[in-house]
Amino acid sequence: MAWIAKNSAGTQIERREQPYLTDELKAKFEAEVLPRYPTRLAATLPVLHELQHRYHYIPYQAIEEAAAFLGVAPAQVLDTASFYEEFWLEPKGKYLIMVCQSLSCELLGHGSLLEKIKSKLGIAPGQTTPDGRFTLMTAECLGSCGTAPCALVNETLYENISVDNFDRVLDSLQ
Amino acid sequence: MALSEPVLVKRIPTPPWGDPADRKYVGYDHFTATGGYAGLKKSLGMAPKAVVDVVKDAELRGRGGAGFPAGMKWSFLPPEDGGRRFLTVNADESEPGTFKDRLLLDFDPHLLLEGIAISMHACRLDTAYIYIRGEYHHQAKTLQKAIDEAYAHKIFGPDSILGLINNFWPQCYVHRGAGAYICGEETGLLESLEGKRGWPRIKPPFPAVAGAFARPTIINNVETLAMVGPIMERGAAWFKSMGKGRSEGVPPTAPASFGPKLFGVSGHVQRPGVYEEELGIKLSTLIDKYCGGMRPGSKFKAAIPGGISMGVLGPDQWDAELDFDIGKKYSCLGLGTAGVIVMDQHTDMVAVARNIARFFAHESCGQCTPCREGTGWMYKILSRIEAGGGTLDDLDLLLELSGSMGALPGTTICGLADGANWAVRTILNKFWAEFEARVSQRRSKVSLAAAGGR
Ligand SMILES: Cc1cc2nc3c(=O)[nH]c(=O)nc-3n(C[C@H](O)[C@H](O)[C@H](O)COP(=O)(O)O)c2cc1C
Ligand code: SF4
Ligand code: FES
Repeated sequence: MAWIAKNSAGTQIERREQPYLTDELKAKFEAEVLPRYPTRLAATLPVLHELQHRYHYIPYQAIEEAAAFLGVAPAQVLDTASFYEEFWLEPKGKYLIMVCQSLSCELLGHGSLLEKIKSKLGIAPGQTTPDGRFTLMTAECLGSCGTAPCALVNETLYENISVDNFDRVLDSLQ
Repeated sequence: MALSEPVLVKRIPTPPWGDPADRKYVGYDHFTATGGYAGLKKSLGMAPKAVVDVVKDAELRGRGGAGFPAGMKWSFLPPEDGGRRFLTVNADESEPGTFKDRLLLDFDPHLLLEGIAISMHACRLDTAYIYIRGEYHHQAKTLQKAIDEAYAHKIFGPDSILGLINNFWPQCYVHRGAGAYICGEETGLLESLEGKRGWPRIKPPFPAVAGAFARPTIINNVETLAMVGPIMERGAAWFKSMGKGRSEGVPPTAPASFGPKLFGVSGHVQRPGVYEEELGIKLSTLIDKYCGGMRPGSKFKAAIPGGISMGVLGPDQWDAELDFDIGKKYSCLGLGTAGVIVMDQHTDMVAVARNIARFFAHESCGQCTPCREGTGWMYKILSRIEAGGGTLDDLDLLLELSGSMGALPGTTICGLADGANWAVRTILNKFWAEFEARVSQRRSKVSLAAAGGR
């Protein structure tokens, strides 16, 4: 739920020596992203997308670095990051499986698909397999209702899924 | 009534004119060789105001769900003051049942870019941001490829054929969302574009006056803008020769239903997909002629006309004419995005209502109490009914709840809550017996209805 609030101010965050927002990334943003917008704040989503693309989630330290780079308070960036479903503030599995559960997909059998994935991977939506390979999530409409049921695995959309063919897809993801 | 030639899907093979298996990306060369950018060239020879007038004359209504006349929206812009003005293109397309814009983004993005360039010329907008939903990874890449081609051919960028606008060379950028349905609401979109959470704004001021970065801004849907090029090329009269036109009894000043429209059909039909037809096509024709009828063994029970926020059409509305005025005629909210979801006789309407309520509870941005709490409770109550634990009182409570939340009753900032309440209310009203059969007939001593609850 988009409106659930963030951690308290007392939360300890994990830190590492080298920055997430490297000088190379900063230079890239300065050259390619910031000139597009009249404010630096507007680059928040593009910056968060890039960080997530690199690190597969957005660590709190990276949020602080992004805030310093954008010239806003860390709370501002955290506020934005925590609002959007696609931004992950915790590490997740190598493959993120998002199974659509909205109406067209439910009508055409998302239920049995989800059951099959759950039993195959031994996890419920919201969980990650112990080997860190898969994280399972349910999603709302992926804009593929005409080819329901469907699921997004990282950035690849699978359409017209049958339980069997998706089984093979999962096996092929190492 | 039937569309005699494809317009939006002219270059995208679509039945009955082509086979979807033959679809491929239409690049700049293919686009221009088949008449693309002719509407832009013509517009550039006209004064900006004259272009707005053509779109106004065509009575083009917004294809993003609300059906607001595009030409009228464009004319709400204040006079130029030398400062910047923006176009934001709504490619957020996140409402269940809606997947029509994706077709254009996947295969013919230049049709959108042509509309963007024309509206930038007509409305004096210097920068366009295409706000595309985060899950459309592939579409964002395709769009960027088309934009790069357009820059190379000086549609946008330095020395653009549009000339300087507000002292800037016109620019067109892709801006990716990150998985929030509410960012499709136009002011939620603006907040998100500015780098904040997508909380819709209280209006007024309307975006035309103070939109993105507090500057005058036009927001249009992908399909709306894609329609502008063909209109400019062939004229308002051509556009108005298609569609249902003005329904009987509608005053000449009220917006009508002209032109072709993309219908995205999903659910229990043989061939789901996006089809183009005139506004006013019958639901039955859409299903039988384009979708190959219902699935084997399926009989029509209900359909959602356009994105789940619009409510349902019942079994007796099989022949409903799908135009913008559908709401009053068939007791639903409206045509919406024309993302039609078809359901057969085996469909459990309680489960449908529960699924829809969950969507809205999940996507409510949480600013307005009636929406945040109302959608959550709707979902809980419907889950309880589905699980067999509901009572008759619950049905009254659902009706009371749905009558009290939304921008139309005036208790919320945006229309998300209206979508939730129309969906649930129309399903409940049209399939009351099915709900009644599922709940225990028990009533508490003081029923809500008796206590004047609704
Ligand atoms: C909750 C909500 C979600 C919306 N989502 C979309 C969307 O995904 N795409 C869209 O084009 N319009 C969406 N709209 C409608 C927009 O607010 C706006 O009316 C539309 O983009 C204007 O463009 P048009 O006039 O060209 O249709 C949504 C509205 C609401 C209330
Ligand atoms: S109606 Fe709902 S979604 Fe819209 S602003 Fe209010 S809480 Fe947010
Ligand atoms: S309902 Fe699953 S993709 Fe739209």
